[in-house]
Amino acid sequence: MREPGEVCLAITGLSKRFGGFYARPSRRTLRGIARTFQNIRLFPHLTVLETVMIGEHCRAYPSVWRALGDALLRPPFHEPKAEGEMRANAIELLEFLGLADKQDNKASDLPYGDQRKLELARALATKPRLLLLDEPAAGMNPRETSELDQIITRIRDRGVTIILVEHDMRLVMGISDNVTVLNFGTKIAEGTPETVQSDPVVIEAYLGEDVTL
Amino acid sequence: MLNGLIDGYTQSLLIFAGINVIAAYSFFLPFKTGQVSLGQAGFMAIGAYASAIMTQKFGMPFSVALVFGGAVAGLVGIAVGFPALRIRGVYLLLLTLGFSEIVSVIALSWDYVGGAQGFRNISFNPYTLEYVIAIIVVLLLFCARLENSSLGRAMDSIHQDESAAEVMGIDVVRIKLLAFGLGAAIAGIAGALYAHHATYMDSTTFNIMLGVEILVFVVVGGGSTFWGPLVGAAVLNAIPEFLRALREWLELVPVEWTNFYPMNRVYDFLHGFLDFENAKRLIVYGIILILMMIFRPDGLLTRDSVRRLRLPGWKRRHA
Repeated sequence: MREPGEVCLAITGLSKRFGGFYARPSRRTLRGIARTFQNIRLFPHLTVLETVMIGEHCRAYPSVWRALGDALLRPPFHEPKAEGEMRANAIELLEFLGLADKQDNKASDLPYGDQRKLELARALATKPRLLLLDEPAAGMNPRETSELDQIITRIRDRGVTIILVEHDMRLVMGISDNVTVLNFGTKIAEGTPETVQSDPVVIEAYLGEDVTL
Repeated sequence: MLNGLIDGYTQSLLIFAGINVIAAYSFFLPFKTGQVSLGQAGFMAIGAYASAIMTQKFGMPFSVALVFGGAVAGLVGIAVGFPALRIRGVYLLLLTLGFSEIVSVIALSWDYVGGAQGFRNISFNPYTLEYVIAIIVVLLLFCARLENSSLGRAMDSIHQDESAAEVMGIDVVRIKLLAFGLGAAIAGIAGALYAHHATYMDSTTFNIMLGVEILVFVVVGGGSTFWGPLVGAAVLNAIPEFLRALREWLELVPVEWTNFYPMNRVYDFLHGFLDFENAKRLIVYGIILILMMIFRPDGLLTRDSVRRLRLPGWKRRHA
C-alpha cells in the first residue's frame, strides 16, 4: 500500500526531503493542497466575501513584508492592485458556487448548506491542485446533497483532483472515478464504483455475511 | 508649541493619558492576532530603560533614544514572541506575566540603571505632548490602513480561528510574530516617552498592575476595532478627573443641607468615594469591569457600532 504522502507527491511535487508532506499546514496549502473541515470552521465575524479573500491571501501575498508594505505604503484612497484582483476572483468563485448574492452577509449568519459551500469556496480560493473534502455531505438533506454532487463535479471539471472521505453512498458512487474502501483502517477494496459495489469483501464488511434475499 | 496654550497640570494629565493610549495600542496589535499579553508593561520598561540609557549615558538626543527604545523593545518582543507562538489563552497570560516580572527584577538588581534606587535625573523632554499626539495620530492611521488591508483581514482570521487560518495558507507564525514584535515596539516607545517626562523610574514603575490596566483599556474600549483602545484608555483616564469635578460640585452643596443625620453620613461617604487619589481607583475599575462584562462584553465600541456611527474605517474597502 502506498503511503498517503506519495499521492500528494505525485500531484503537487511535495518532497519529503524538505519537510514536504510534514510541513506546516500553510506551506502545504501553498503547494496546492486545500481542505475543508468535517465540522464547519468558518471565521464567524468575517463576511462571506472576506472569508473567500482569506483563502486568496496566501497566493496574493506569499511574503508578510509584501502584505505589510501593501497595507501601509499605498496612496490614500487607493487600494493595492492585488486587493482588486482578489475581490474579483472571490466574486467569481462565489458566483460559481451560487453565493454571490450573500457576499456581504456574516459567515456565521448563513444557513448550514451555504456554510458548507462557503468552506468549499474558501478552499478553492487557495487555488489547489488537490482538494481534500472531509465528509462534505455530513448533516445535509438530500436536496443539498444532490446540489453538492453537481458542485463537486464542476470543481473536478476545473481540473482539481478531489479526494473525498464520505459515507453517503449515493454521493460517493455517483461522482467517484475511483473508490477505496476502508474497514477499521485497513484497505479492503479499490476500483471503480461498480467493481467495489459488487466486491464480496465490501458487502461482507458493510452489510454482514450470508445475506440472502 | 502647546506650552503657551495648556497649563502644566492639564498638559501632564494629557501626557499620561496619551501614553496610556499608546500602551493600549501596543496591546491591541498582538490581540488582533488572538495573543493576549499581560507583559506590555515589561516592554514599556525595556523601552524606557533603553532610551534613558541612551540619553543619560551616551548623550544622545531624545528622538534617537525614542527610536532606539522602540527598536530594543521590538527585538525583545520578537524573542518573547517565539515561545508565545505555541502557547494560548491562560498560559500565554502567565508567560507574559512572568516576562514582565523578569524585566522588573533585572531593573531592580542592575546597578548600571540605578538598581533599587531607581533611574534618576533622566533628561526632561519638553515636547512630550507633541510627541504623544503625533504618535497617536500615526498609530491611528497605521491601524486604519491595516483594518482595510489583506494583512489586517488575515490577522482577524487568526484571531477567530487560528488553525482554520493556518490551513487556508495564512502564514500564522510570521504574522503573529510581526504583530507581537510591533506591539512590543509600540510599548517601548510609550515607555521611552514616560521616562523622559517623569524623569525618574524604578523597578516598580512598570509593574504588573500597569500590564493589567493596559489590558483593561482595550477590553473596556473594545478589541474588535482599532478605535477601541483609544476610547477605552481615554474614558478610563478621564474618570478620575470626572470624579474630581463631581467632588468639587459636591463641595458647593450648602452646609445646612448636610449637617444633620443621616445626610451628613451620606455626604461623608460620597466625599470619600469621589476622592480618587487612593486605592478606590481600583474599586471603580473593578466595578466598571464587572458592569462591562455583564452589559457590553465586547467593549464600548464593537465593529457593528463603528459601522453604525460611520467612524472613519467603518467600511472595509471591498464594499
